[in-house]
Amino acid sequence: MTWAEGHVRWCQALLYLGILAAWELLPRTGLVPRLFVPPLSEALARLVSNHREYLGSLPTTFGEILAAYAIACGGGILLGQLLGASATARHLVLPVLRSVYAVPLVVLYPAMMVWFGLGSESKIAFAAIYAIIPTMLTAVAGVAALTPALTETARAFGASRAQQILYIALPASLPSIVAALRLGGALVIVGVIVAQMLGAADGLGYLITRHRTLLDSPGVYAGIVLVLAITGLHELALRRLERKVAAYRGVGD
Amino acid sequence: MTRPLVAIRGVSQHFGTDGARVPALESIDLDIPDGQFAAVVGPSGCGKSTLLSLIAGLRLPSSGAVLCDGEPVTGPMPRKVGMIFQEANLLPWLSAIDNVAFPLKLRHVAKAERLDAARRMLDLTGLRGFEDRLPHQLSGGMKQRVAIARGLVQNPAVLLMDEPFASLDEQTRMVLGDELLRIWSETRKTVLFVTHSLNEAVYLADRVLVLSARPGRLVDDIRVDLPRPRSFAMTSEERFGTLKDRIWQHIKHAERR
Repeated sequence: MTWAEGHVRWCQALLYLGILAAWELLPRTGLVPRLFVPPLSEALARLVSNHREYLGSLPTTFGEILAAYAIACGGGILLGQLLGASATARHLVLPVLRSVYAVPLVVLYPAMMVWFGLGSESKIAFAAIYAIIPTMLTAVAGVAALTPALTETARAFGASRAQQILYIALPASLPSIVAALRLGGALVIVGVIVAQMLGAADGLGYLITRHRTLLDSPGVYAGIVLVLAITGLHELALRRLERKVAAYRGVGD
Repeated sequence: MTRPLVAIRGVSQHFGTDGARVPALESIDLDIPDGQFAAVVGPSGCGKSTLLSLIAGLRLPSSGAVLCDGEPVTGPMPRKVGMIFQEANLLPWLSAIDNVAFPLKLRHVAKAERLDAARRMLDLTGLRGFEDRLPHQLSGGMKQRVAIARGLVQNPAVLLMDEPFASLDEQTRMVLGDELLRIWSETRKTVLFVTHSLNEAVYLADRVLVLSARPGRLVDDIRVDLPRPRSFAMTSEERFGTLKDRIWQHIKHAERR
């Protein structure tokens, strides 16, 4: 790490601290009404005192996230690889996908509750559909960026079709796969929480909505803190993976 | 003269279907004897690179046949032919030594054995100490040295070089040219070297093959009778200029059309 990079990290840490301090102090000074945003410490205190309630909502939430993650990222990356391999398919399908991506899919959620019921199935379905298209678009971009020159070189040195995929196409598309996982995962988390907020009987999003109807702001923000923690951990894990892949491919730090 | 190591018999090549047929090469007949350093020059788009890819087995001629070491070429023959491209085309996620060993890995050679062979080739190309560097940590000239080492690692009889120094700067190109001659004199490969540079062709080769504008035909076959080892001083000798001029007359004529 160079001096400048270390400097940047310090500044970023200070920014985060500033945001947290503002969260604590603005409500306390009365600049922001406590009903809108309670101080951070109150939200954390509620999280501790009611930990049974909050932790109890996590198994459902994580289960839904993992199931939607598997569908959105597994399906998105697989379809992306297939689509990326054929120029014709790309030209045919990509414009359609981009238009569909522009539609706010959340309008479909009420319909999905009718199709799949109030339980986990509707959350998984919504989050998976919400995340699969951008995941697929990211994966396609990676395959399309594969240099034909490397494949040609491998062919000149006698690589079979299977060896070309194993030694060239796969390592070359690894970064786009990780990028697709990162984006898809973040969207799946949002999808599940939003779906739980709109109509559910369990889960973190449901808890947040229930406390809101009671005008219990610390209860709402305790849930928000947990959501932030989940997205933050996911982001950290994927960034780590990204760095590992970059190092393995020899183009990163 | 020894028997031809590469024999090209009545080869023509065109691209596209009957409706829009673009001829690239027309009736090429050529013998390259074992151990010869032959340069191929010609105006842009004359099919020089196509000729190399036919010998490499990367494509098949529309008519005629290519023989390598007496065997008809029907696909890539990596153990007989080593290929070096204009760009080094190294796998960015592999270290220099793993890139050099890559052709052996494709053939399932044991790891110790292939790293051993790769290390010897890196020594030969002057890259001792750079084995573990990744391509992005190497200069353009060093990357091309790795590519040459990779081309040599299977000990092929023929080395095909497709404008290997074209994207390097002048000084690096001259240093690598001398390096290539040293490696060639140590290994005595048969070399086919495609280039845009008349200087490079005359300086490096025993023989310069001149192709015409598209469709490429063989219009001249010049023996370079300069003594070896070659030296920079020779480039200012009269004989060097005469040879270059003879090639230039063909190319000038073709580029004007």
